[in-house]
Order: sequence, then C-alpha cells, then structure tokens
Amino acid sequence: MNHHHAAVHSRPYAGHVHHARRERGTLTRTIHRIFRFVIDRYLALPIGAAVALVWANTAPDAYFTTAHRLAFVVNEVGMAFFFALLAQEVVDAMMPGGSLHSWRRWTMPLVAAAGGIVGAVAVYWTYLYYGHEDVLSPAWPVACAVDAAATYYLLKAILPRSAAIPFALLVAIVTDAFGLFVVAPRYLVLETRIGGAVLVMTALAAAVVMRAMGVRAFWPYLVFCGAMSWLAFYWEGLHPAFALIPIVPLLPHERRTTDVFANAPDDDAVHHAEHEWHLLVQAIVFLFGLVNAGVMLNDYDTGSWAVLTAQLVGRPAGILAGVGFGLLAGLHLPKHVGWRELLVVALAASAGFSIALFFATGLLATGPVLAETKVGILASAAGLLIAVSVARALHLGRYAR
Amino acid sequence: MRRRLLVVSLLLVLARPFASAVPDTALPARADSLKFGVIGDNGTGDRPEYDVGQQMAAARTQFPFTLVIMLGDNLYGRQDTQDFAAKFEQPYAALLGQGVRFRASLGNHDNQRNRFYPGFNMGGERYYSYADKNARFFVLDSNQMDPRQLAWLEGALKQSSDPWKICYFHHPLYSDGGRHGSEVELRVVLEPLLTKYGVNVVFSGHDHVYERTKPQRGITYFVAGSSGELRKGDVKPSALTAAYFDQDQAFMLVEIAGDDMFFQTRSRTGRIVDSGIVHRQPLDIREAP
Repeated sequence: MNHHHAAVHSRPYAGHVHHARRERGTLTRTIHRIFRFVIDRYLALPIGAAVALVWANTAPDAYFTTAHRLAFVVNEVGMAFFFALLAQEVVDAMMPGGSLHSWRRWTMPLVAAAGGIVGAVAVYWTYLYYGHEDVLSPAWPVACAVDAAATYYLLKAILPRSAAIPFALLVAIVTDAFGLFVVAPRYLVLETRIGGAVLVMTALAAAVVMRAMGVRAFWPYLVFCGAMSWLAFYWEGLHPAFALIPIVPLLPHERRTTDVFANAPDDDAVHHAEHEWHLLVQAIVFLFGLVNAGVMLNDYDTGSWAVLTAQLVGRPAGILAGVGFGLLAGLHLPKHVGWRELLVVALAASAGFSIALFFATGLLATGPVLAETKVGILASAAGLLIAVSVARALHLGRYAR
Repeated sequence: MRRRLLVVSLLLVLARPFASAVPDTALPARADSLKFGVIGDNGTGDRPEYDVGQQMAAARTQFPFTLVIMLGDNLYGRQDTQDFAAKFEQPYAALLGQGVRFRASLGNHDNQRNRFYPGFNMGGERYYSYADKNARFFVLDSNQMDPRQLAWLEGALKQSSDPWKICYFHHPLYSDGGRHGSEVELRVVLEPLLTKYGVNVVFSGHDHVYERTKPQRGITYFVAGSSGELRKGDVKPSALTAAYFDQDQAFMLVEIAGDDMFFQTRSRTGRIVDSGIVHRQPLDIREAP
C-alpha cells in the first residue's frame, strides 16, 4: 500500500525533478553562453568598470574602502598574470609562422607608433602648458597607452580579415611597450632596496633549468620562478606587475599561427594550462576594472581633458603623420590598407582604457590627480565609437556598400 | 504707527535665522594665544584678492596674528616672478611688511616648484610640519597621497604630543561644494590616521566657498576656498553642514587659547559670516570611529 502510494506520488514528483533538471540545464547553458560571450568579446573589463562607476557614485565610502583593500592584490599581483599573458601572446606571434614574425612587418607600425606617441605626448604637454597645471605632469606616460585588446576586437568587428588588424596590433604593442619601460621604474613605493637583479637572474636560471629538465607543466614556472621575479621587482622598486615578463619566453608553449588574441583549441596539456590562464586573467581583468575604474563623475578636471585630447586627437593625428613620414621614407603599408582604413585604425587605437588605467595607477598615488586622469581615460573609450562611426561613414569593412 | 510696527516686527522675524546662524563669538585676542589667518584658493591677482588682503590687514590692528596658513591654489595661471608679485606679494604687502609669516600647502593649480619660493615658507617640501605655541600643524600635498607621504604623516602624528593637532591641505575630505564636493577616496586613506592620532581640526580649500562641517569623528572640517576665487551659490547644504557662506570672498581668523579654538570667518567687506568655538576633545573621549 505504502509502495503503491509512493509509486502514485512519485510520478508527479519525478516530473518535477525532471522539469527542474531541465530548467537547471537551460540555466547553466545560458550562464555558460553569457560567460563565453563576455570572455570572447573582452567584456570582463568594461563590465568591471561599469560596476565600479555605479558603485563609486552611489556608495563612495564603501566602494573606495573595498577598492583600497583589494588594490595591492589586484594591481601588483594579479596584473602580473595579465601582462604575462600579453607577453606570451606577443612571444608566440613573433615565432616562425606567427603573425608578427617578419621584421619587415614591424617597420611601418614602428614609425606609426612613434608618431602616435609623439602626437599624444605633445598634445598632453601642450594642454598642461596652457592650463598651467604642472601637478599633472607625472601622468604624461598615460598618453602612451593603447588598449590593444579593445583595438583588436573592434577592428575585427568592423574590418574583418583586413591586414589593418595586425598593423594596428603592432602599433598598440610598440606604444604600450614604450609606456611600460617608462612606467616600470616610476612605481611608487615606500622604499627601494638593491639586490633584486640577483634574484631575477636566479629566477631566470631556475626557469632555464626546469625547461632543460623537460618540465611541461605551466604552474611550476609561474609559482617558483615567477614568485622570485615578483619579489625581485618589488624589492628594486620596479612595478611588480611586469615581473613575469622576463620569465614568459622560457615557458613551455605551443606555437600559434593565428591572430595574436585568438584562442587556440584547448587540445593538449600546455594549451589546457594556457586556457586556464586565460580564464584567470579574465577574472583578474574584471577585478582590475572594479578596483580602478571607480571615479566620481564630478572628479573631471584639467587632467581629464588633457588625457582625452591626447588620446583622441594627438594619437590618431600622430599615427597618420607617422605613416605619412614612413611613406615618404619609402616604407609600405600592408596590402589593401589605405588612408581611409588607417584613419579607422588610428581612431581604434585611441582608447587607452585597461593599459592607461594601469599606467595611471602605477604612476600616480591616491588623490584628485589620479581621479581626474581616470575620468579622461574612461572617456577615451569614446574613440572606439568614433572609429565605428567613421568606418560607417566611409563605408569600410562590414559597412561597405 | 501700526504699519511701522508691523514692518519692524517682520524685519525682526526675518532677521532671526541669520542672527542665530551667525553667533557673534568675539575673538579674545589674548596676549599669549596662537593667532593665525586662513586663506585658500586666493592667488588670482584680481581685485577681490586685494580686497581680502586689505581686510586682513585691517583685522590685524585688532587681532595681531603672526601666521597665515594657505590652503593651496596660491597662484593661478602663469607663475613667473612677476606673478608672485602680482598674485601674492602685492595683495598681502601690508601683512608681509608687518612680518606676518605665510605657510603654504600646494593646490592643483600650484607649480610644484613653488615649494622653494621663500615667501611660502615650505622649506622646499611638498609636505611638512611645524609647531607654534600649543599647536602643531601638519601640511600635506593632497594632489597625490603617495605611500611615503602617508608614512611620514603617521610618523609625525605619532611623535607629536602637542595639545592641538591641525592639518591643512588643498582638497577637502568633507565638502558640500557643488563643483567638487568631498574627496571620498582621499578620505578613505587619510581619515583613519587623523582620527587615530587625535587631529582636532582640518582646513582645506578647492571648493570656492566657505563651509564648516559638524564634527566628523571628532574632527571639525573647514573649507575656506574663496579668498580669491569664488563660486557663488555653489554650496548644496546637507546634514553635514554646520555653516556656510558662498556669496562673496572670505577668509578666516583663528585663535587657539588653551583648550578652545575661537574662529571668525569674514567676507571681503569685513562682515562676520560665521564664528564659534571648537573645544579640544582629548583623544580618549571622542566617539569611536
């Protein structure tokens, strides 16, 4: 009897369970799809930044207290993985078969990047000179920051399969590398000590030995050699977020032949580790946006306009002038890339966003100067929208008639 | 007669809130007390700055202060030798001639090299400390609160056993100014140190108005950023506001006598727009943060 009752009642119950499982499955798939979309479209940072902006302007005390507690772990430790991943992408792409392998491809982008740097910095300094705000002068390297990933994804969307994409990436990489060398030694620390160089050499030697011993796993290099290098950088007063960069060329990796930012299939142990690394970096980038992009909207001031003008006017004008100079010097543009495409490339490279935020937090201490600089950086994302509008107006790429 | 009485009564009723809002607390001007003036965002070189300078000189005949603290933006625009003359030396010529010492902090419009200008008495430092009678002043560069400055501040506050600890810097931790308002991020970094080590009063500028807050965690905050620049009608009073004045340029006169700090805020016409007394609260009886 009891069994019968149980059987009778179990049918609807089983139906509920089945229905609930199906709903859960759908929910999981939806979450997974959203998650994939966010990761594939490089949206973790903008989402983190948007949350930070809303939080900072609605509950500023809670936001800034939380942001300050997390700042060191995210900016000094977590971002080391971000820069290591960027370095890994560049190292891969520079290997035979990689999109950045041939030095010939570098020449024109190098000149364009130099033009962009000179243009942005010149506009920044001119703005300060006439605005009489000498206090903003330490922030000039912020003008030398291009959000390479944002540039890549935008150009991929509006100029698909164009040779303008690797060209723009090279411009971004060269520009950021320049900024990185300027920012690293200007890291604000309480005190600096000597002896870090020995520790870095030890870390590199350990990585060489591990590689010679055939260690294929990814993490021992990061945990052991990376930690040593991080300590060395911190000890010497260099920005520790760049500490993994010297280790990266020694990491076990698979060669890539695709775009720099394209995800390779997760088909072996090394790539699996890289895939995990990608996910970790996305989480870090989200936290980076959350911790650093929160500014109060009334923080805008001269520094905001200086950064914005340098990024949106100085850099694009400089890139175009650089290319003009390169052409006069006998250099060549990639095939099917003309002035119209270049204009879109130059505008797409005008947003500093993640890298600019990172440079700003490395160069400037807490205070209004940092806050107003951040406002300018966030506003420079408008360059991406302008690039889309110009591509549309010029009927380029996906907007071609 | 009836009508006149009505008008007088009406005027008295209308005048009441203003009278109660500005208690006329006289400065005792005791011989042995610490007396100083406060100016902020002054260095325009325009007429109002000169007017404030004249009012300060006039006030000094009754209230012989020997120190003026400057809350930043000591010079606007170009900052060459002739600008130091037009925007600082001439507006305050009478005070400088009487040996009044100016001690400056740096604002966002100040060239960082101005810390070497002898008239600002900064000793070439972005942040520094000095004592006068029973008070110690901690002067900060709030443009950038770097780790070294914070460590220095903590050390200096910890070492100080002076009864009065007064901090001044350019950007306000609490402000109801509509253009800038409170610098919350700076507050998150600075306030724990100020409360922990018993700072009594903080002076700032940046918002071009005058405002006094109700004590926050035992500290009274003043915004006095209208000694040259003025943003008329910019204060949006809140629960934080104890008093404010945003209709004309202003400066402050302060006297520390024993456990009391007397203050008067005067407009550039010499009208008293706020006054009162801040009683020194020993650290152990303040409300817990």
